[in-house]
Amino acid sequence: MKSKKIFIISALFLLATNSSFSQTYTSLNIPEAYYGVTGTDGVTNFVLNMDENLKQYRTGQATVTGAVNIGTATTNTFWGPTMIINKDQAIKMHVTNNLNESSTIHWHGMHLPAIMDGGPHQIIAAGALWEPYWTVKNQAATLWYHPHLHTTTQAQVTKGVGGFIIVKDAAEAALALPRTYGIDDIPLAITSRRFLSTTNAMSATLSDNYGDYVMVNGTLSTTTNYAQATLPKQVVRMRILNGEIQRGYNLGFSDNRTFYVIGNDGGLLNAPVAVTRLAVQTGERFEILVNLSNDTVGSQTLYLKAYNSATELNALTPGSNAFGWPGNEGNASTPTGNSGPLNGGLLNNVDFNIMNIQIAAATTASTPITTIPTALISNTYWATTDVTNSRTITVGGGNGGTAFTLDGSLYSTTMTPKTVNLNAIEKWTIVNNNIFGHAFHLHDVFFKIISRSGGNIGTTIRTFEQGWKDSVWIPINGTVTFIAKFDDYSDSTWPYMYHCHALTHEDEGMMGQFTVNGTMATNENSVKTIFSLYPNPTTDKLFINLSDASTEIYYITITTLEGRVAMMLPKPQWQNGIDISSLSSGVYLLKLTDEKTKSVTTKKFIKN
Amino acid sequence: MKKSALCFGILSLCFTLLSFALRPLPEEDKSIKNFKLKSTENKMVSLSDYKNAKGFIIVFTCNKCPMAKLYSERLNLMSLKFRTQGVYLLAVNSMDTVAYKEESFKLMQKKVLKEKTTFPYLQDKKQVVAKQFKAINTPQAFVIWKNKSGKWVQKYEGVIDDSALEPKKGNNYLEKAVDELLQNKPVSNPITESVGCRIFYRGVFDKMR
Repeated sequence: MKSKKIFIISALFLLATNSSFSQTYTSLNIPEAYYGVTGTDGVTNFVLNMDENLKQYRTGQATVTGAVNIGTATTNTFWGPTMIINKDQAIKMHVTNNLNESSTIHWHGMHLPAIMDGGPHQIIAAGALWEPYWTVKNQAATLWYHPHLHTTTQAQVTKGVGGFIIVKDAAEAALALPRTYGIDDIPLAITSRRFLSTTNAMSATLSDNYGDYVMVNGTLSTTTNYAQATLPKQVVRMRILNGEIQRGYNLGFSDNRTFYVIGNDGGLLNAPVAVTRLAVQTGERFEILVNLSNDTVGSQTLYLKAYNSATELNALTPGSNAFGWPGNEGNASTPTGNSGPLNGGLLNNVDFNIMNIQIAAATTASTPITTIPTALISNTYWATTDVTNSRTITVGGGNGGTAFTLDGSLYSTTMTPKTVNLNAIEKWTIVNNNIFGHAFHLHDVFFKIISRSGGNIGTTIRTFEQGWKDSVWIPINGTVTFIAKFDDYSDSTWPYMYHCHALTHEDEGMMGQFTVNGTMATNENSVKTIFSLYPNPTTDKLFINLSDASTEIYYITITTLEGRVAMMLPKPQWQNGIDISSLSSGVYLLKLTDEKTKSVTTKKFIKN
Repeated sequence: MKKSALCFGILSLCFTLLSFALRPLPEEDKSIKNFKLKSTENKMVSLSDYKNAKGFIIVFTCNKCPMAKLYSERLNLMSLKFRTQGVYLLAVNSMDTVAYKEESFKLMQKKVLKEKTTFPYLQDKKQVVAKQFKAINTPQAFVIWKNKSGKWVQKYEGVIDDSALEPKKGNNYLEKAVDELLQNKPVSNPITESVGCRIFYRGVFDKMR
């Protein structure tokens, strides 16, 4: 009888102590892989529909979110599909904006014509369809897409509109790297959000640009309920994106294990770089390998972590806890006395876990990678001797809460762009004698960082940022110099952007623009282009009959009679007819922009 | 005789002065003017059509918004519950039909058929009614009640309930407000913060929230 009593008491004791240690997890969302549909013309088509949706993130009201492709097959409630494409592939996007306001989709990292870039100039009106296309010239890399409408980029990205693009090529395919998507090769869009207490809306204001709760691929990850990635006991590849509005991450693993950076924004490095800490700023992508071969199946002790406390940041770079390294603004209990965010975030100035990793058995369907390769690819980087032109860009503003500027100006879409000559190899020096650090991003091409100076980084070009980059961190009082070649595409009309990728700074005007000019002469004659449309009325295809056979069409915009933009077709391939089947019946205006003269001629047509 | 006439004169003067003193300040008088809008049945509907109405539930909604779409069933039931008690639910679509082709009158008619709507769905094409109420979201609900002087006064504004994705789980602020008014009680939560898609007013620049 006594032994029975002891048994019951000890059982209850074990139960009590165990239940106080129960941690819950939510399975990490992996965005679906989207390969597109290839037509008989060899062009691979992608349909991206931007929409609002709802997600129950917290108790109470559902949170209004933004997502891409919320349709019936895939019901994305935050973020969008991962487009997987090959180098040299001809692709065409069909982007419909179903948000309740104008937007754009920028292909961040893509090398393409300015008119297809999706920056502030390619505004997609509510309800309109935009059909850019290009041939992929990028080498294998992890890119991403997101809205880029001036003054509302922060709001739209906060909602969740965005997604990954993975470019593959032969050089990458030849390497012994993990590449089974969702199994040993996972994308991680890491960000954070602050939820308003009354509506559970994700706040997108200046004082709320440091979120309180981590989100990975749209999965909320909190101390009581972490996002959990189940990864096999082998070498695993992570494609990391800092999708924050402003915060940087000092990444590592909870057990401080070494991991390997294999890729920067623009592609693979020449060889893996061993690190225990990786500084990632807004907009940057890093591909890493982490070896889980020695971990125990079933264990849940490993976390991907942000070592953002002052102690850790100081260990990384002495003096890092100076104001302006994102992550050091006041935490929730001690709002900063400086002119920083009014409400410090729960995640500010502390070390925090990003997501939990649960170890599963090694894969059998595909051969597991068990070692870190010693070499990757052969990149030929630019050197100072290649440079044909240099320029300096100076950061300004920010004092007393004023907006930050580039070269003393605030962005406007009508500002005169800088001009870069086609095929120029330019050296840009960004000087940041400023009260804040900035994440400088360049559209169109990648660059090689050739020197740093000043600030708390000094002259060290960190080991993990020596590949092709499109975004670079410049600390307070720091200067960065990089070299880029502006090749392949020229257009004296439409510019590319450069800007700080802290979205609050960008929306407030810390942005500039440049055109890449070729040797093409433009005819100043603005005579109307003579053409006719047939058949008219039409049901699905509209053909253009040009009076002058040498006419080149730069743009076609189709609007309703009231002026609502329905379709935006940059450099349309009009010879086989324009597909207007998606339009509802009615009368439309077709506005044709001539490539040479840039004059616009309008003709009416009826869609049955 | 003179004395009583004087008394009467003084009394009436007092009453006049008193009525001026008791007259509510313009800011407190959040009354809604009668409006007339076209319903999906192609009929003109106005508040004054409802002769015996004690109050109205005006819900700003639309065809497209995912948040608004979740409430069709709940609004159907609410309309049936309250119309027998002299409170009528009217849905108003004030979205810009030029910018948003999904908000067309035809698609409003389609929605009513599909959802077996039990209340009038009215088109506020010029956004006049939305501006009168200062509506900002879809869905957003307002309750107006007839006061002693026969004016429609706003008694509630805000959410229908606070659990869009999980009906019956949250607080039904709108229904509670109407129940309280029918019991001649004051509304315990007269204002709640609405959530949903923004109503964009033509010609007014406004950032997405």
